[in-house]
Amino acid sequence: MMLKPSIRIYVLQFVMLGALALLVVGLFQTQVLRGGYYRRASEQNRIRIIRLEAPRGNIYDRNGVLLATSRPAYHVYAIPEDFDPQDISTIGRFLNLSEVKIRTLLSQARHASFTPVLLKQDVSKEVAMKIEERRPGLGGIFIQEGFIRSYPLKEVAAHLVGYIGKISPEEYKNLDPSVYHYGSWIGRAGVERVFDAHLRGEDGGRQLEVDARGVPIRLMGEKEPVPGKDLYLTLDARLEEKIRPLVQGRYAAILVMDLKQGGMLAATSTPSFDPNVFVTPGRAKERLEVIGSKQRRLLDRSLNGLYPPGSIFKLATAIAGLETHTITPHTTFNCPGYFRFNGRSRAFKCWFHEGHGRVDLYTAIERSCNVYFFNVGRLLGEKRLSEYVKKLGFGSPVALELPTAGGLVPDAEWKKKIHRDSWYPGDTITLAIGQSYLLVSPLQILRLVALVASEGKRFDPFIVLEEDLRGKHETHFSIRSETFETLRRGMLQVVQSNRGTGQLARVNFAKLAAKTGTAQAPPGEAHAWFGGFFPYENPEVAFVVFVERGKSGGITAGQIAKRVAHIYHELYSPQIS
Amino acid sequence: MNFTVPKYLKEIHWPIVVLTLLLAFVGMVAIYSASFREAGDYTTKQFFWALVALGIFVATIWIGYRAFLNLANSIYMVTIGLLIWVLFFAPPISGAHSWIKVGPFQIQPSEFAKIATIMVLANFLAARSPIIHQKRNLILAFFLVALPTLLVLKQPDLGSALVFLPLLLAMIFYWGVNIRYLVILFLLSFASLPMIWSNLKPYQQKRILVFMNPSIDPIGASYTAIQSKIAVGSGGLLGKGWLEGTQTQLDFVPEHHTDFIFCVLAEEFGFLGVLAVILLFVLLIRSAYQVMNHTTDLRAKLLALGIASYLAFQVFINIGMTIGITPITGLTLPFLSYGGSSLVTTFFALGLVASIYKERSIF
Repeated sequence: MMLKPSIRIYVLQFVMLGALALLVVGLFQTQVLRGGYYRRASEQNRIRIIRLEAPRGNIYDRNGVLLATSRPAYHVYAIPEDFDPQDISTIGRFLNLSEVKIRTLLSQARHASFTPVLLKQDVSKEVAMKIEERRPGLGGIFIQEGFIRSYPLKEVAAHLVGYIGKISPEEYKNLDPSVYHYGSWIGRAGVERVFDAHLRGEDGGRQLEVDARGVPIRLMGEKEPVPGKDLYLTLDARLEEKIRPLVQGRYAAILVMDLKQGGMLAATSTPSFDPNVFVTPGRAKERLEVIGSKQRRLLDRSLNGLYPPGSIFKLATAIAGLETHTITPHTTFNCPGYFRFNGRSRAFKCWFHEGHGRVDLYTAIERSCNVYFFNVGRLLGEKRLSEYVKKLGFGSPVALELPTAGGLVPDAEWKKKIHRDSWYPGDTITLAIGQSYLLVSPLQILRLVALVASEGKRFDPFIVLEEDLRGKHETHFSIRSETFETLRRGMLQVVQSNRGTGQLARVNFAKLAAKTGTAQAPPGEAHAWFGGFFPYENPEVAFVVFVERGKSGGITAGQIAKRVAHIYHELYSPQIS
Repeated sequence: MNFTVPKYLKEIHWPIVVLTLLLAFVGMVAIYSASFREAGDYTTKQFFWALVALGIFVATIWIGYRAFLNLANSIYMVTIGLLIWVLFFAPPISGAHSWIKVGPFQIQPSEFAKIATIMVLANFLAARSPIIHQKRNLILAFFLVALPTLLVLKQPDLGSALVFLPLLLAMIFYWGVNIRYLVILFLLSFASLPMIWSNLKPYQQKRILVFMNPSIDPIGASYTAIQSKIAVGSGGLLGKGWLEGTQTQLDFVPEHHTDFIFCVLAEEFGFLGVLAVILLFVLLIRSAYQVMNHTTDLRAKLLALGIASYLAFQVFINIGMTIGITPITGLTLPFLSYGGSSLVTTFFALGLVASIYKERSIF
């Protein structure tokens, strides 16, 4: 069937103009026939929206210990349009607010006089009851039940759990208006931020009709808020709580990872902060103190602090050397206490000035011989070394559920771009012992230790117990098991041998294996590193202790590591024995 | 009395020019009223965009629609590229990936995609006879339209995505589609509704559910629907007067300078005022049909028809939603809603129509 073109044009015109005619009919109906009704409705717009906040989900550790929760609180609001200025003194008495303060709050909302203004948050139940009793006489005032976030363990795991904050007007513009509102809370840091969508529920609200004095007379519609979902972390709050005092007063980080399942057991960073200052009314001053702190208390040193790793990085160099068949475990180099490329070059010193003599790889790891790894670096060359190190995850963020720092692995190209200087062989060999321009986070060292300890089974840790909520994790490494075996044995000697650099971490209940690092970072003292795992056979945990300006990895960090191991043992000994 | 009008002035379709300018002026008046109490200076920005749009309008008439139609494939590809880019690389604004930030301005590629699709479809259909291989050609035409539609839907921007369907229907109807296929296409669209539905964001689903049953979401979408209806209705016959609309000034109606700009007009100028505005749109659409009758170029006819249906549909949906005839989908009112991309696109589209009239004598 085909219509003539001219008829088709008529049909199309008829449809389009007909649609517009329908609009005219609709508008006539709305504006002229029912205009009076709507005019009255607009003149005495008596419909008010009161938002009902959804309670945010709790955050628990692996044993169900509360890390973050919400407690109910009463907030007092006023709708400026309905509020009688004569009541200012009455309400001021109840809330302990000056008249000037109330007037200022009300005048801030001049443009939207139907939008509730928050007069005072978190009033006591008695005050709330008093106002509720007087309410028939107080137009435009109402009490709303809301929630105040609280973090019962305060500083413990504060960096990981994070905190929430109120949405700023700029942010509000970019967010989905059906989920977020003015004055809504949103995750600002840590798990609170990353899992905001999971934790936050769906706000509800009431549509009320009010009388001429602003007193509600009818509930027109109500939507119940949907509470947010809870979240369980792999952390063990008891462990975290006990190891924190070990580094109190220092700039330090301790990471403990469960090698059996792959979750993070503890991630401590000091100095820390009490996240309650971000959510508790009246703690604004402390909040500013935390934010502006010269100690950078908000920085999670364990995940995002970047430092030169020093000798602990020799593990990575050893893997590169073994995997490229540049060396074998039995390759030996002579250490006279220094290293020279040739007769005219400068001497690169070993930390042990008398020299280690002729050493193989095991001994080189055990005694942390610089000259041995200078040689490995020289044989590998800049390209192979930096490439391999990147393969081991340095220079890129760890696939944790939280954002983590990537760090820096220098290479010739980078140096030319940033420092406008060529790459010298000296850069390669200092990179091989974890100095040069290299920057890593304690978490990156942890995953290297975990990789070696688990012989390739573990790498990126996770912090969320529920599997569906975790990100993607790298698990595949084509590293030979002989390589892992060599490194594990070397690390065992570090602690167990009487000439090892990590003897102070020896414990009596299990064989502990580790590697030390004392990273030069002038000006100032060296950073102390200690990364290891235990028990040697069938390891349960991997850990990293890092102390900023801690002077010596073997001494400062090693002693802390020993106590971490003891604390872990006390908590979990039934499983070990 | 030897006064002669120069040829280049006689060739111009003056009604389109006058109607376009009048509507842009009405838009500025409404935007001023909707936003003069707020920061942002929307009126000045809109004025700037109107000047840009006017420049594009004049240039389009001068260049002529043929050049643009010849370039239609490239324009289409570029807008598809922009739609993909905006989905993956543009940061979300109000939860949707619809805008690209260029300096202080935000560009909305979906607006350009509408015109680009009309142009490419006009080319495609005009080059093919409806008698031979109709099924195959229809399927191809369907894909040309489906691609931008799905990309816009994914942003998510339901309103803009919906515009593509009436375009396609109007253009293939005029081209000479077999009524049987038209029915099949209709059934197909119905069949694809569940798929589209599952692709919608919860708030979009809510808006549609609210359209069918206003009591579902008393504090969100249905509140908006009620308040916008109060705004329009309270305008009455004569309106409350410019800048006097309480519903919109007091923020009862959200987005009153963009999607709900019509509420401002209706509240402040009343039924007679909006009747005049609708009349301007009617005359504009009539002009497009008039231009269609003046040309023998099938491409041009299809182009003008596509633009007419684009205008008619946007006007219908946008005004309809303020009085509850159509669901709230977030579609702008051509010329009147604040927004540079929409204004530039509309002026460009009408420039194309006007240029068809100018070049009607070239065979």
